[in-house]
Amino acid sequence: MQLTVNGTAYQVDVELDMPLLWVLRDELGITGPKYGCGIAQCGACTVHVEGMPVRSCQLPIGDLEGEVTTIEGLGTPDALHAVQQAWIDHQVAQCGYCQSGQIMAAAAFLDLNPDPSDQDIDRALSANLCRCGTYPRIRAAVKTAAASLKGA
Amino acid sequence: MKHVLVLFTLLVPQMAPAQSNTAEEGLAAWDRIYQVTSSPRCANCHVGDNNIPMWSGPSYGSTRPHGMYIDAGPSRIGAEFIPCSTCHVSSDRPNLTPHSAPHIAGLWHLAPVEAEWFGKSSNDICTQLRDLERNGGRTAEDLVDHAAEDAIVAWGWTPGGTRVPAPFSQAEHVTDMRIWGAAGQPCPGD
Repeated sequence: MQLTVNGTAYQVDVELDMPLLWVLRDELGITGPKYGCGIAQCGACTVHVEGMPVRSCQLPIGDLEGEVTTIEGLGTPDALHAVQQAWIDHQVAQCGYCQSGQIMAAAAFLDLNPDPSDQDIDRALSANLCRCGTYPRIRAAVKTAAASLKGA
Repeated sequence: MKHVLVLFTLLVPQMAPAQSNTAEEGLAAWDRIYQVTSSPRCANCHVGDNNIPMWSGPSYGSTRPHGMYIDAGPSRIGAEFIPCSTCHVSSDRPNLTPHSAPHIAGLWHLAPVEAEWFGKSSNDICTQLRDLERNGGRTAEDLVDHAAEDAIVAWGWTPGGTRVPAPFSQAEHVTDMRIWGAAGQPCPGD
């Protein structure tokens, strides 16, 4: 079947019940999205489908409708997404494993809620687990990114 | 009498089934309907205006709010925080993995806040269901159709994994909804 990831069209020959995450990592070599739990409880595999956040471990490739964006396609080193820039400014990452999922979740969240309170951020991003406990820095970075996006 | 019957039919078109049922039969059907509506499989997403889905019932151990600090917001689809559809994707494939987020072929969402069932009494749920102001404007026939055709309702009997389904079967529930409607939607507190 065909799918478009980060603006590039791909053809893959896989079972239609293969999760999108497997297709991205094992078939296409796009390894930004991480495998954490495989059951939608950690958020490490979060990508966007048509701009909406999706746990790619949960979506059978046969049910994919729309273009996929992964962390590799959110911004570029020369033109970072506001969330990526804020992540660097606040030095959010510790081990880094969950961070691509955190950033994709945060970017989608700010699309829908451009002026979030601390409570909103906690509600939105508690579903993305960080075993290093970087949540205070995540919250600060999301606020910085929100301000940056509003000024853009 | 004939005029009264015609008037009755005009005023209450949803009460024009091929058969009618007695209030006693209607209340017996309602008892079974209440077992369905109050079951955790249904009530966990029929929550009040805090918009927080519940995890309760034999599949979950102790009763608690949905994990991950989830709040579906006033939109009831999570648009304010994290959309339900982030994890509860749209797919018509069976739910096979016990601890995965279940899915339906449609948009996962909470029931409208007017249809708060979690922790409510039989009479509370009954009077809400027959109240056009609080049931989405559904006639008794519309409620039968809703029970028969809505994807997220149907999931209640095919939750997959190790989740305990709603009691009875969907077909039995639809039959009970039809009997309850044909009996004039009686409630225990009437």
